[in-house]
Amino acid sequence: MPPPRTREERDHRDRHHHRAPREEEAAEKWDWNCPETRRLLEDVFFRDEDYIRRGSEECQKFWAFFERLQRFQHLKAPRKEEKDPGHPKRGIPALADLPRAYDARYRINLSILGPDPRSCQGPGRRLPPERVSEFRRALLHYLDFAQKQAFGRLAKLQRERAALPIAQYGNRILQTLKEHQVVVVAGDTGCGKSTQVPQYLLAAGFSHVACTQPRRIACISLAKRVGFESLSQYGSQVGYQIRFESTRSAATKIVFLTVGLLLRQIQREPTLPQYQVLIVDEVHERHLHNDFLLGILRRLLPGRPDLKVILMSATINISLFSSYFSHAPVVQVPGRLFPITVVYQPQEAEQTTSKSEKLDPRPFLRVLEAIDNKYPPEERGDLLVFLSGMAEISTVLDAAQAYASLTQRWVVLPLHSALSVADQDKVFDVAPAGVRKCILSTNIAETSVTIDGIRFVVDSGKVKEMSYDPQAKLQRLQEFWISQASAEQRKGRAGRTGPGVCYRLYAESDYDAFAPYPVPEIRRVALDALVLQMKSMSVGDPRTFPFIEPPPPASLETAILYLRDQGALDSSEALTPIGSLLAQLPVDVVIGKMLILGSMFSLAEPVLTIAAALSVQSPFTRSAQSNLDCATARRPLESDQGDPFTLFNVFNAWVQVKSERNKNSRKWCRRRGVEEHRLYEMANLRRQFKELLEDHGLLSGAQAEAPRDSYSRLQQRRERRALHQLKRQHEEGAGRRRKVLRLQEDVGSSDEDHEGPASQRADSVDIQDVKFKLRHNLEQLQAAASSAQDLTRDQLTLLKLVLGRGLYPQLAVPDAFNSGRKDTDQIFHTQAKQGTVLHPTCVFANSPEVLHTQGQEASGREGSQDAKDQMSCRHQLLAFVSLLETNKPYLVNCVCIPALQSLLLFSRSIDTNGDCSRLVADGWLELQLVDSESAVRLLATALQLRARWESALDRQLAQQAQRQRLGQEEEAESPAVSPREMATLSRELLQFMAAKVPYSLRRLTGLEAQNLYVGPQTITTAPSLPGLFGNSTLSPHPTKGGYAVSDFLTYNCLTSDTDLYSECLRSFWTCPHCGLHMPFTPLERIAHENTCPEAPREDPGSEEAASAAPQKASALQRPYHCQLCGEDFLFTPTEVLRHRRQHV
Amino acid sequence: MASEAEPHPLGMFECQLCALTAPYSYVGQKPPDTHAVVLLEESYIMKDPFSSDKARFLVLGARCSVCGKLVCVGPDCSLFYSKRVCLPCVQENISAFPQEIQQDVEKRKGASKRPSSHP
Repeated sequence: MPPPRTREERDHRDRHHHRAPREEEAAEKWDWNCPETRRLLEDVFFRDEDYIRRGSEECQKFWAFFERLQRFQHLKAPRKEEKDPGHPKRGIPALADLPRAYDARYRINLSILGPDPRSCQGPGRRLPPERVSEFRRALLHYLDFAQKQAFGRLAKLQRERAALPIAQYGNRILQTLKEHQVVVVAGDTGCGKSTQVPQYLLAAGFSHVACTQPRRIACISLAKRVGFESLSQYGSQVGYQIRFESTRSAATKIVFLTVGLLLRQIQREPTLPQYQVLIVDEVHERHLHNDFLLGILRRLLPGRPDLKVILMSATINISLFSSYFSHAPVVQVPGRLFPITVVYQPQEAEQTTSKSEKLDPRPFLRVLEAIDNKYPPEERGDLLVFLSGMAEISTVLDAAQAYASLTQRWVVLPLHSALSVADQDKVFDVAPAGVRKCILSTNIAETSVTIDGIRFVVDSGKVKEMSYDPQAKLQRLQEFWISQASAEQRKGRAGRTGPGVCYRLYAESDYDAFAPYPVPEIRRVALDALVLQMKSMSVGDPRTFPFIEPPPPASLETAILYLRDQGALDSSEALTPIGSLLAQLPVDVVIGKMLILGSMFSLAEPVLTIAAALSVQSPFTRSAQSNLDCATARRPLESDQGDPFTLFNVFNAWVQVKSERNKNSRKWCRRRGVEEHRLYEMANLRRQFKELLEDHGLLSGAQAEAPRDSYSRLQQRRERRALHQLKRQHEEGAGRRRKVLRLQEDVGSSDEDHEGPASQRADSVDIQDVKFKLRHNLEQLQAAASSAQDLTRDQLTLLKLVLGRGLYPQLAVPDAFNSGRKDTDQIFHTQAKQGTVLHPTCVFANSPEVLHTQGQEASGREGSQDAKDQMSCRHQLLAFVSLLETNKPYLVNCVCIPALQSLLLFSRSIDTNGDCSRLVADGWLELQLVDSESAVRLLATALQLRARWESALDRQLAQQAQRQRLGQEEEAESPAVSPREMATLSRELLQFMAAKVPYSLRRLTGLEAQNLYVGPQTITTAPSLPGLFGNSTLSPHPTKGGYAVSDFLTYNCLTSDTDLYSECLRSFWTCPHCGLHMPFTPLERIAHENTCPEAPREDPGSEEAASAAPQKASALQRPYHCQLCGEDFLFTPTEVLRHRRQHV
Repeated sequence: MASEAEPHPLGMFECQLCALTAPYSYVGQKPPDTHAVVLLEESYIMKDPFSSDKARFLVLGARCSVCGKLVCVGPDCSLFYSKRVCLPCVQENISAFPQEIQQDVEKRKGASKRPSSHP
């Protein structure tokens, strides 16, 4: 597009043109570099319909070429005269008409049809003809050059492909695949299997090829590379499909996709009819999903004899895969690695001297020194150091940076997954001449990230891996020795571009003692999600599923038990409606439950955000932890309610910033130490959750957009078009270019060194922002975000209830002595793990007083009681998302919830003593209530609320499941749960939560927990308390003793050291309804009140009572219409009495 | 998107000398999608795979006007001097070409020994 011309420009040009016809003068003054001259020529030759268009990148390239050509001809011109024009002899007739006088023009096989300036009108007429032909000639040479260049690239590409080690095996792979259903292709890094095998299939005529990758990033980069190599970079033959992005179309022949996504496709279409060939790449990495996929395929193949499968693996344990598929043939391809020298440098001596936990950085520095001494700086080659974790990286980073500032020969860069994306990208930048990069990395650089130019590798031999403790449901990050396979992989990183050196900081004997292979993921992680997926795919009993290597039976049992506890499986281990829905949500069971519960209480919007926030890595950057400015800027977003609410606030505030024009969200994030990339992920995930809930009828579909006036519609369309154009421009610009690193890269304070370039780039496109605005309806998001600010207290309480119920049983109780401890020493106990601490990112870590009950109220009633038996009605529990053990066990993402009510509503088991003043939840938390009457009432209400909540949820899900079966069309049906029913339930839940009953809370000691129950009684007298907890029948509990009231409540089963006869003490009481006057124990009195035939019945119109049939009569509070004052109330029978007295 | 209008390959072009293969989408002297350029020989062409501009084309090769072999435009296989001639035919009839071409062919012979890195 030509820039708009100003008047001055035009004047200037006119003057120029006046002169142009006077040729002698023009010849002298002719200047190819004059912008006006160039513009004039462009106007003539580079029109929109021409091969090169003015203003394009091509146009710039042409002028660059033109300048070079001018210089070249200037040099050559004088010599041309001296040349003796040869007289070629006549040859064969075909060559008879070759032009005799040589001219370079004859070597060009094309001709330009552009306008002839002599005949055309317009500005071109004023150009001197010989200049025009000169220009034409240059253009011709340029086009020829461009052809040669493009052809050269094509030829080079083919040469490089042909030079790959796998090229010799292409035909053999295809031939073997013709004869067998499964082929194993084994080859080491660099042999080209991931890029070439799909192309061989394409060339052989296959058109429905799927290639799975363990990582999303690999899907994108492979699709790009294979598209480029197969010359369809700008076509659609090759595509990728990952969670939120797809470039797949009907024309796509090869698709790269994640294993998880393929499994979901199998879930929908178990025989995978859409594919002819399936390539499963990186099977040796033994990811959980890959192992499962192999099992699925083994079962599927007999039913799909036409489906071909290629397993691709490094040369690790190949026989395992081959024999798993009834001895599938193996095509083994040698890798292409340059020789690597291995140097063993065991460090025993030092390790004994420094007893501290911290890693000793000296051995690493010694390697840096050795490299400096041995290799001249002009010999390029960078260093990659493998360390076990982030703490180790920062230790070595400090030391290495000190060394680097001394020698000026190193740029030291960390690389781990918690770094911001921009900081991660730095490892791909190049060091200035004479300086080497030293990259300190976790095992992320072992397979996931490939950095070119590495010549030296230092291998610490250690790795930190997540292990899973099924008993404690605890994730543990522990340091291990690596396997021999990993050690080889690490070593191999030094030999990708030339011969290299690998320094192993352990002895050769250590290496020999390493396990041959890493522990497969299936043996290390929680299997809940896997079991749920297996159930939803109906693959049968997970215990007998033919895994390539079975998981530990204990993990399977824990997972099954957990899913049963969560209500995803029933007692026969079949999928429940909630389970089948959870199986379709690509999240943790806990978070899936929140989504379902939230949408029932019309809290979908906030829950969507919170669920998304809890499913991505924390957006808070580590470097900002210590940064005071960041902490201050973040403070207003922090919530006393807990981390999920802080994340909720951050996301909402960010959306607001996004929707305001001219506000830079990138800057906003940086100031608060927030990694914006995570917020984009949240937005994507949130949208996916929303669609899933809509698909399942749990959320009414997107409302039709409010009618807008034509102006704003036009405006919107224009904006979208502009965004699309920005995106296209960005994509054509090939994205990020490599930069040269600065020597004193100040990594610690990445914020400052971003500030510079970012503000210079202020006008450049934030492509993430563009993509975000294209993908999401910002207005909708903003509406949701601003409605979040108006959440009422009640909504907030319900939201916490939803989170709590989702997170249960992941609860922790504050230690009794916390209020006397320092902020950093606050301790919490979970059922399985004592002495956990808050994660430093946790909001309560900075303000633990929020969780203390002391000082918040006068609770001195029991003055003699010590702190741990504190009576209060404000005890809080922490519900947490995960428990992570590194150097300490940390609670991650905590919400505080009121203890008594939450336990009554969520606990799987509640046991009581005779007068219900002592309750034990799930066998580990004891609650003592002062007032046994209110205790009984709360219990009865909890029983009834739980039943109704459960029933509403079941009906909702059952209807959804049925609708799914029948097809989507029958929406007209009345909803299974009426909005009125949910409104009533919410109201009553809120009243329940608001109950102010003082109680004490403590964790039982191990001994107490063991001797909790009276045990089965020999004399089982039928309880004389009908109706105490509604009309559920009480039956003696077989193991605990006492009476089972419902599936979670057991009455009077707790052993007690108090007076055995206290519960028999009766006092005279008169029933206000029937006038009965006799001695009652407190419980008998309540039982009578609940069953008194004269007591006011509940409103016959309330449908929820009918639906919650078993607990019909148990509500203590009932709607009450007073005929005297004409008002409606919710009253317990005693309250009714009290109210009536007012009117007397 | 432009992908919908992707040109369908007519077939595979294969150089009979170096075996370079690539799908071609047009044979002739008037490349489709552009009116600004004509070719001076019957060429096998494809859409330039390295450009997003669908008007840009890439000449893969043509028939040798002496022996009729299909050859690519690579400097090791053929040259163009007002017509396409494959390198073996050039060598056989080297005297029919002007000196500049003769020198050039000499140079190529030396260069093709080592893997050329054509710009």
